[in-house]
Parts: sequence; C-alpha cells; structure tokens
Amino acid sequence: MVATTTRILFETFGATEVRVFYAFGWAAIAAFAWGVYVQIRKYRRGAALTLEGSLWARSRAMISMVLSHRSIDRRDAAAGAAHRLIFYGFTLLFIGTATITLQYDFLEPLFGIRFWQGEFYLIFSLVLDVAGIALIAGLIHMMIRRGWMRLPKLDYARPDRSPGDPDFDRPQYRREDWAFLWTLVIIGSTGYLLEGARLVWLQGRPDVWDTRWWSPVGAMLAAGFQEVGLNAGGAAMLRHGLWWFHGLLALAFIALIPYTKVKHIFTASGSWLARDALAAQRLPRIADSAAQPGVAKITDFNWKQLLNLDACTKCGRCHEACPARAVGAPLSPRDVILSLREFAHATLESGVLPDAAELDVHGKGPGQVSMETLWSCRTCMACVEICPVAVEHIPIIVQMRRKLVEDGAMDPLLTKTLQTIHKTGNSFGESKRKRGAWSKALPFTLKDARKEPVDVLWFVGDYASFDPRNQKVSQTFATLMQEAGVDFGILYDGESNAGNDVRRVGEEGLYEVLATSNISALAAAQFKTVVTTDPHSFNTIKNEYPDFGGKFEIQHYTTLTRELFRNGKLRVTRPLKYRVTFHDPCHLGRFNKGYEAPRELLTLLGCELVEMGRCRANSFCCGAGGGRIWVPDPVGVEKPAQNRMKEAAAIPGLEVYVVSCPKDLTMFEDALKTTGLEGKFVVRELIELIREAIPA
Amino acid sequence: MKILVAVKQVAALDEDFKIRADGRDIDADYLIRDLNEWDDFSLEEAMRIKEAANTPGDIEVVAVSVGPASVDESLRKCLAKGADRALRVWDDAIEYSDPIAIARVLAAVTMREAPDMLFAGVQSSDHSFASTGIATAAFLNWPHAAVVNMLNYTPGAKTAVLRRELEGGLLQELELQCPAVLTIQLGINTPRYASLRSIKQAAAKPIEMLSLADLHLVANDVGESGSSSRVRRMYLPEKGRAQLIEGDVATKARRLAEIIKEFRGQT
Amino acid sequence: MSIILVIAEQRRGELRPVSLELLGAAQTLRREGDEVVVAIIAQEPQRFNKLLSVAGVDEIINVVGAMEFAPDSFESVVSGIISERKPELVLVAHSVDSFGYVAALAVHHPMGFASDVFKAEYVAGKLVATRGGYGQKVCVELDFPNRKSVLLAIRANVFKAPDPSSTPRLSIFAMPAVQNRSTAREFIELSAADDVDMTSAEFILTVGRGIGEEARVPEFRKLADLVGATLGCSRPIADAGWLPKSRQVGQSGKTASACKLYLAMGVSGAIQHLAGMKHVSTIVAVNTDAEASIFSVAKYGIVGDLFEIAEELRRHF
Repeated sequence: MVATTTRILFETFGATEVRVFYAFGWAAIAAFAWGVYVQIRKYRRGAALTLEGSLWARSRAMISMVLSHRSIDRRDAAAGAAHRLIFYGFTLLFIGTATITLQYDFLEPLFGIRFWQGEFYLIFSLVLDVAGIALIAGLIHMMIRRGWMRLPKLDYARPDRSPGDPDFDRPQYRREDWAFLWTLVIIGSTGYLLEGARLVWLQGRPDVWDTRWWSPVGAMLAAGFQEVGLNAGGAAMLRHGLWWFHGLLALAFIALIPYTKVKHIFTASGSWLARDALAAQRLPRIADSAAQPGVAKITDFNWKQLLNLDACTKCGRCHEACPARAVGAPLSPRDVILSLREFAHATLESGVLPDAAELDVHGKGPGQVSMETLWSCRTCMACVEICPVAVEHIPIIVQMRRKLVEDGAMDPLLTKTLQTIHKTGNSFGESKRKRGAWSKALPFTLKDARKEPVDVLWFVGDYASFDPRNQKVSQTFATLMQEAGVDFGILYDGESNAGNDVRRVGEEGLYEVLATSNISALAAAQFKTVVTTDPHSFNTIKNEYPDFGGKFEIQHYTTLTRELFRNGKLRVTRPLKYRVTFHDPCHLGRFNKGYEAPRELLTLLGCELVEMGRCRANSFCCGAGGGRIWVPDPVGVEKPAQNRMKEAAAIPGLEVYVVSCPKDLTMFEDALKTTGLEGKFVVRELIELIREAIPA
Repeated sequence: MKILVAVKQVAALDEDFKIRADGRDIDADYLIRDLNEWDDFSLEEAMRIKEAANTPGDIEVVAVSVGPASVDESLRKCLAKGADRALRVWDDAIEYSDPIAIARVLAAVTMREAPDMLFAGVQSSDHSFASTGIATAAFLNWPHAAVVNMLNYTPGAKTAVLRRELEGGLLQELELQCPAVLTIQLGINTPRYASLRSIKQAAAKPIEMLSLADLHLVANDVGESGSSSRVRRMYLPEKGRAQLIEGDVATKARRLAEIIKEFRGQT
Repeated sequence: MSIILVIAEQRRGELRPVSLELLGAAQTLRREGDEVVVAIIAQEPQRFNKLLSVAGVDEIINVVGAMEFAPDSFESVVSGIISERKPELVLVAHSVDSFGYVAALAVHHPMGFASDVFKAEYVAGKLVATRGGYGQKVCVELDFPNRKSVLLAIRANVFKAPDPSSTPRLSIFAMPAVQNRSTAREFIELSAADDVDMTSAEFILTVGRGIGEEARVPEFRKLADLVGATLGCSRPIADAGWLPKSRQVGQSGKTASACKLYLAMGVSGAIQHLAGMKHVSTIVAVNTDAEASIFSVAKYGIVGDLFEIAEELRRHF
C-alpha cells in the first residue's frame, strides 16, 4: 500500500480547471521572466566591470556564505536564526514543489519516470511539513521584531531628510515589509490547512489516511477538522477552495519576485558572488580614458554597484554602525543605498533610457544624494564590514565624492587642505624640509634611508611627523627601536603624505601624485620591510600602492613590536597594572584585521584589558577618517570621538584609553577635554605604555 | 569678448632660507612658488562673468603672466580652473624688473590681446607692491579702480558698477567706464578648486609664449633700466621684540592673567 | 634747495591720520635747505589748513576739488603740482586711495618709485627706501639710480606725527580740467551686525587663523566675556564668516584706536592686520609658531597651544 502512496495533485479537477491553472502558472512565469529581464537590463545600463578572480572560487564563497548565514548571524544572532529558518524552510518547500513539477510535467509524461511515491514521498512529506513550521516560525519572529520589538535600526526615518519630506520615513517600505511577511505566512499556513482538508476529504483512502502522520501538522489539523464536524464532502469543497487560494497566491508570489524586496534572494546572492573583499581598503582607480572622474550619473555606477543597490534588505545594520549617523550627521549608509536604488528604479527600468540630465544622482531631489550627506562619511568601513549582503558603500560614496571634488563642491577648509598638500606634501602646510625635524630632539641620529640601506624603513606619516603631541610619540618609538637594536631609518623630506585620506576624500589626481612620489622614494631606498605607526599610511601602502607599481612589505608597529618582545629584543621590566581599554583604529582593525597584536602587547605589559561594547570589527570611528580630520564638525553637536569617550567612561575604574593611531591620539585627547571627562582616565598611545613598562 | 587676467607666481620662503651671495635676493632653492592668492580671486571673478553670460562660449578668459618657465605651473592652474588660454612673457632681460617695468610688459600684452577688461590682484603676497595693475592701466591710459570687492559687469557693457574696499570697514561704490583695469580684492568671491586631474589635463593645453619682440619692446624697456627702483640689498629684520613668557602652560596662563588683571585694575 | 611734496589724505571731510605721519616722515628726510610742501585736495581744503600746520611744514597747497577721491583727478592734480614745483621727493600714503593712482603717476612721471615703504634715509647722499619682501619676512632696501626725483608711498602707523606748531605759507593750486572716468556713487558702511565698536574698545581679544575651525569661536567668545575683552578677529576669520566683518581688526577692518591691551590669539600678524593694532601699547601674542610676525610688535609673547593657554586662563577668572 505504501508503495502506491503519492502526492494528491489535481485529483478531481476537470481538464478545463487544470488548463486554467496552467495558464496562471505560465502567466506567473512570464511576469517573473519579464521582471528579471528588466532588472538585468537595468544592471547592464551601468558601467562595465570585470570581476577579478575565478568565478568558481567566487561561487564557492557565495554558496558557503548563503548556506552558513554567517553574515546574517553577526551582531544579531536572533535575526540570523530566524532568517535561517525562513531560508531553509522556504528552500525545502520550493525544492519540494519544484520536484513535483519536475515529475508531473516533465519526467513522467516524457520518460514515464515517477519518484514521488512510496517511502520517498512519505519522508519528503515529513521534511516539508517541518520546513513549513520553520518558515512560519521564522516569519513570526521577524514580525515580532518589526511589530513589537520595534528595533531602531528598522526605523526608516532618514537623518538626511526632514519630517514632512516626501521620502522622509518611506511608509511604502513598511507596507512592503508586512505584505512580504504576511504573504509567506499565508502561503505557509494555507498549505497546512489544505493538507488537513485533503486528509479529511480522502479519509476513506487508506493509502492517504493511514500514512497521514508523515505530515504531522496536516494530520493534526485533520483531527481538528473532524472534531468540529467536517465531513469528507465539506472537506472536499474546503480543499478545492484552499487549493486555488494557496496555488494562486504562490504563483503571484513567484511573479512578484523581481518587482519586490523578494528579489534579494537573487540580488543578495549576486552581490556576494561579485564581492570585493578589499572594497573599502583598495579604492578603484580612474581609467585614463574616463571622460570625467567619479560618478555623476546613475549610469556611471558599474553593474555590480547597481546590483548592490538591489541587494539591500534594509536590515539597518549599516545604519546602526555608522558613526556619522550616530552623531546625527545627515548620513545613513542605508539611505544612500536606498536613495540610489529608488533613483535607479525610476530611471533605469523604463524601456528607453532618460536624458542625461535626468540621470544626475547629485542633489537634494528624490533619490538623489546631497553633498552634505557624502561629506559626512568617515570612510570608516563600518557599513561595508557589517553588511550581510556584501553591499560596498565606500566605493559608491567615494566615487560620488570624486565628482564633487572635480566640481569643487566641498568645504573651503578641505579645499585649502588639498591645495596645501599639493604644495607642501603634507596637510600641515609645513615646509617639506621640516618633515624629519622631530628627530632632532633624539639623542642619536636617525638614519637617512635615502642615503644608506636599512633593515626597517619607517614611513612616518603626516601626523606623526608634524603634530607636536604625536612627535613625542614618534620620538619614543624611535628610541624604543634604537634600544631594541633595530636597524632603521626614515625618508626625511623624501616622504610625502601617504595619500590614504586624500584618496578617500575623492581627490584621485592628488592621490596619484602622492602615491607615485612615495613609491619612487621607497623604490630608491634599500630596506627589507616598511613599518609605520600610522594605520592610514599602512592601509594605502599595503593595499593600494601595488596598483601603482609599489609592492612593499609593510607592518604596523604593533606587529613589529610584538616580534621584538617575542624574540627578547624588548623586555618588560616594570609591568603596568593599569586597567585599560583598547580602541581599534579603523584602518588597522576593520580594514586590515590587526586586532590581536595590540591586545597581546597590552597583556605583555601587564595591563588588564577591558573591552568596550564596540570593539574589534565593530570599533567606533574617531571621526577623523575620509578626510574629515580636515573639516570641522558642526558646532554644538556631539562628535564621534566624544560619543566614544562616553562609551569608555562607562567602564568602571578605567585608567587608560589606549590608541595606536596618531589621528586617534589627536581626536580622543581633544574629545576627552571637551566631554569634561578629563581626569577620569587618560588617552595614551600604546607606544607610550611600552615605554613606561621599559623605563630607559 | 575677452577678459584678460594678469597673474603672478609668487614665492614664499622655505625653512632656514639663505640670502644670495650678492645680498640682493633669497637663494632660489629656498623659495616655494605658488599662484598669488589675490589672482585666484581675480581669475575666479573673470570665470564667473563668463559663466553668467548668456553665451559663455563668446567670452574668452585669458591668463597672462610675466616670468620664466616655472610660471607655467601657475598658468596651468588657471587653465585647469577654466581659462581659455594662457600667455607667458619672458626674456632674460626681464629679470630684476620692478612693478613699473612689469606693467609696461602687461600693457603691451593688453594692446596685443585687446580685451574688454583687464583684471589683476590688488597686490602680490610676496612683495605687496599694490602697483602693477594700476601702472598697467597708466601705460594703456585706461580707466582703473583699485581694491575692488564687488563687481557688476556684463562683458561688452560701457560701464561697470563696483565697490572698493576702503580702510576701516568702509566701501565705496562707483561706476567706471570700460574697458578698464581692476585690481581685485580677496573675498570678492570664493575661488574654485582646481583638481589635480584638471591640472593634469591642462598640461595638454598650450601656453603661448611671447617674447619682447612680439610685444614691440626692447631690452631697455624692462629689467633695471626699465624700472623705477632697484633692489640694493635684502636683510633679515630684527624681530622677537616681544618679551617671551616662559614656563609650563599654567605659568604662562597665570602671567597672562596677571597682565589682564593689571590692566583692569588701572581702568 | 629742494622740495619735499607731501600729499595729504582726507575722507568724508576728515583728515586721515596717515597725512600727519607723512609730514613726520618728511621731517626725518628733510635736509638742509629743503622745503616741505603739503597739498590737500578737498571740496573745502582750507578747512584742513590748521590741522596741517605742524612742525616743519613750509607751505600748504589747497586744491579745491571733488568731495571724494577720484583717481583721474587726483593723478592730474598731483601731476600738475609735480610739474610746477619739481619736488625731489614726493611722499604719499600707502593707502587704498593711493593704490588707485600713485602707480599711474609713477608711470606718467618718470620718477623713482617705491610703495609700502616703512623706512627711508639718505645714504651717501642717495635716497634709500626700505620695504618688506617675501611676506614681510625680509627687509628690502631699494635705491633709485639715475632718478632725479622719487615718489614714495609710505606705510601708515610707522612715522610719528610732528607737533602742531607752525605757520606755513598758503597757496592755491587750480584744479585742472579732468574728465573723470569713474563716478563715485556712495559710501557703504559695513553695518556692525552685532553692535560692537572695535575702535572704542580698550581691551580687545582677537582670534586668528590659529583657532582652526568655526566650532572654536564660541569658546573664545566666552573667554573674551570672562576676561572683560571685546572679541575681535583677523581677516581670514571674517572672510570665512565665522565672525562679522565689523569685528575685523586691520587695514580693511577696524583700527583698534582706543585699545590699551590687545591680546592676539592665533594671529600670525599679516601686515594688514598689524596696521590696525600695532600702535597698541600692550600687545600680548599667543601663537604656536615662535616665528610668527605678531611677536615682532608684541610686548609679551607666549609660544604655545592657544587652546591650552585659553583653557588655563579661564581658571583665573
């Protein structure tokens, strides 16, 4: 008996009714296909891009990410779990339904193959029943998040618009979210009701009835139906109605995929497939053939960026992580993406591409991004790092900034700084000749790496060279290296600003000048490795100089110093008993995953390390990145660094806030004063603590 | 129609500069060169007039500078900001020219170019003569106005309305016949940024070279013989007359507070 | 005997103080037998005769002209006087008005010429004028070979006005017929947006480029209130709109006329700024750059971080 058990499909339907259903089915597929075509046409209207690396490796990485849900689990395990239930539930149900179609419409009529029967069918029916439970459970959790937990990151109110603006909090997004959730919940639950009704209807057929507990939910519902007095005849009618309702809703769902947020099934996967693991660390070059730098029109984005826009699921993690948004600046990375997505939707999905004038993405109109928004970005990478669907915000923002820079649409102080850097090679406007002047205070002469070979070439960077407070740190580091017997030197006035932040401002031409100049200075010197105390210089030399022909081995001082401790060149003679916390610099931590060395050093020094809530990959930017150190923050508004000081102050008994970046030292010492927390704890460069633990 | 903008490449002293052996100038190795700050504003003013016109294509903005090849860098900056053409005049005889001799050259260029307006900066940030623009007007016998910080001018118009920035926060509005020479003051506008990319692209645009002969001038018109003054020597001024208050921050602030309190006690 | 011709300046019926300073300069340059002749061009020039009758003035020339400065008529008047009197030395102010015609005069009358002169003397019988160079970082000595007469535009606030005690001759120079190519319309006083009068303030605290960002302005405003000073600023701060133009001290801003204590914080000391304040008896300069030219006019100097100093200073009030 079990052998003949199979899925009840059309059963009593007349030929016309079946044909009607097929007509709906084909219509849904056609609508789906058209939608997919329109989307692909949209992406193809973007600029060309050739992905690096093999498609196979990319596919493997994508599949692994999708199956593991690692990116969705991060910093929100409950959402990850719920999404996993929905994903696997939906996938199994989809596969189940798809295989029925496979047998019924292809394998059986063409080859007479039937597999949807017997034990295989029963096991599958059990699996699908469980999958349905998972799907509904996951969906209900999502509803709770939206309806009851009301997570701030799911609030669509925009920091770059005012209440009353047409696109301020976008209620249509909320409607779509709920429609999506309810549609799936209804499809899932009507599936069960249908199953229960079918069982009651066919209770007389032992191949159906006796195996009913293989679909436990359906069997329980059947028992319930019988309890309330539903007989086989009534159940047949109920089943017939539910069948059509369920079937048409499911077909409608399929038809709507390319037109609604449901498309993230494909776009998010595509986004992962096209992901650039160094998107923020290594910005794209401008082709010599480019008519204009950066992005002016929506079609100046490449197809992958347009796909990125569609991958966004509005989860709000970037919105939550963004330091600019946190202090009320008119920027949310989420809204940049959603704005541009709406813009692309409005302009690139029509049959004929609108005039160039209508494709301008800069401005304050609907879907446009304002310069105030773009200049609020610190390029700290918090958004890119946390995005569960591999959206790469930073290159999008920097590409748009490149256009602003070309137009001179920026803060006058930034203009001034860029001119200064061009003229003097540093942002301080100091003479090139003075770059190495800080070393005059040392009791020994620093080697000039331009004139003699060294083991370690120290790329000092602007802040460590010119800022009086950081000069002291540079002097300390030089002394420590000397004591450890390291053979090292600097480039003196052969060095220029490394260009990391100039590039992130969007002044690519100036970056090229700086990078080229530094690369030729480095190439002319003899050394084994480069070291720097500046994470910004570290990032660009490590990740970006190779694109300009400068391939150098480079370390941040934290790894070099750890090495010196490990091989006994440095020894702690006076352990520190401080209670400290460590601030991961964006460019060392998130950008280059240098999380461990500074922590190991702190442990070596004898410090008790207490982490802040936002640490490591979730470290909170000091606000200086992306050239923002050169542009004053608005008056009377909390600055990111101040926000961070308050976070640190919440650690009981904190004595030292440890940084390992010159800009951090400047930003946080300032913020400590302006938040009135001076005296509670101090801000120190890790180098200074090392010095303290090894008294000269 | 045409606006000619006279620009200068100025020199600032680098750290630890040295006075040249003959004592009459600074060793050129210690000079950092850049476009004169005032000229950023005068070029910008010309560009704004061009861009505000109904048919900007009909208005030509031409930058001109007198100086050796190193000046091309500054002229390229002008081209990067949108100047249509750039001219450079040089001859070794021009060295040691004072503002009057330079003005003679600029006037000759102006005759050749026949613009509707000539703009110059009020002064240069290095030597602050505040003379070249008006001296040029004198050679041309053109109307002129100095220290202009607001300009209302339509190319081709017979007059321009402008404001001069006088001392003590006073402005004087006047109407001036055109063509004229205006010396433009800082703050009249916000100069645009020339991106490095545009500067690079400007490198492809030609800079027209003019010799003295092209301008119908002879060597005696320029240099020391064409000038109204001659540099005798340069020397470092006595400085640091201030009595420095030493000590840590607290000590310095305490002494400063004493000075303030002393003053308040007196009054 | 030679003549030193001084061109006095007036604006809106007021003699500009630099006019008397020019007479002071004429005194220092006067040699045995020289005559100092001062010309004043105004609607009613005789009104200024009393003021111009200072020590060492031999003659006052009245020129009845337009009420206000017009470059063409000024140039032709001065040119006419020069042709008539053939002075060996002509002294004018290095002022905004003189910017408007003096260089033209130097072109039309082939005299020796130097502008922004802050020192002039005869060396071995030859006139040597000194001015600043390279952003006032160096002094530049000029001489005038083969020139019989020299026109010097003298920097304001350098020379001392002579004592008022003389009875010069009076003469009249007829205004030549000039077709002025410019028409003065009106004067516009930059309205004091916040009703502050820098010229009457006795204690001024000025902030300059050194404060770096607009966000820092309020703390210095508070500091000024705390110590009882009027807050002023240098040109870059006013140009950036961080403080109203009416608070700008300097050549194109206000002169700190009544000021007795001037505290300059983060002001490097551009010559145009110094013009408005260097006469103040007690100037205290705070700057990170020990080389800043503000220290050359200050009585007291503090080299250091102005924010730290400001922070500490607050504790004393």
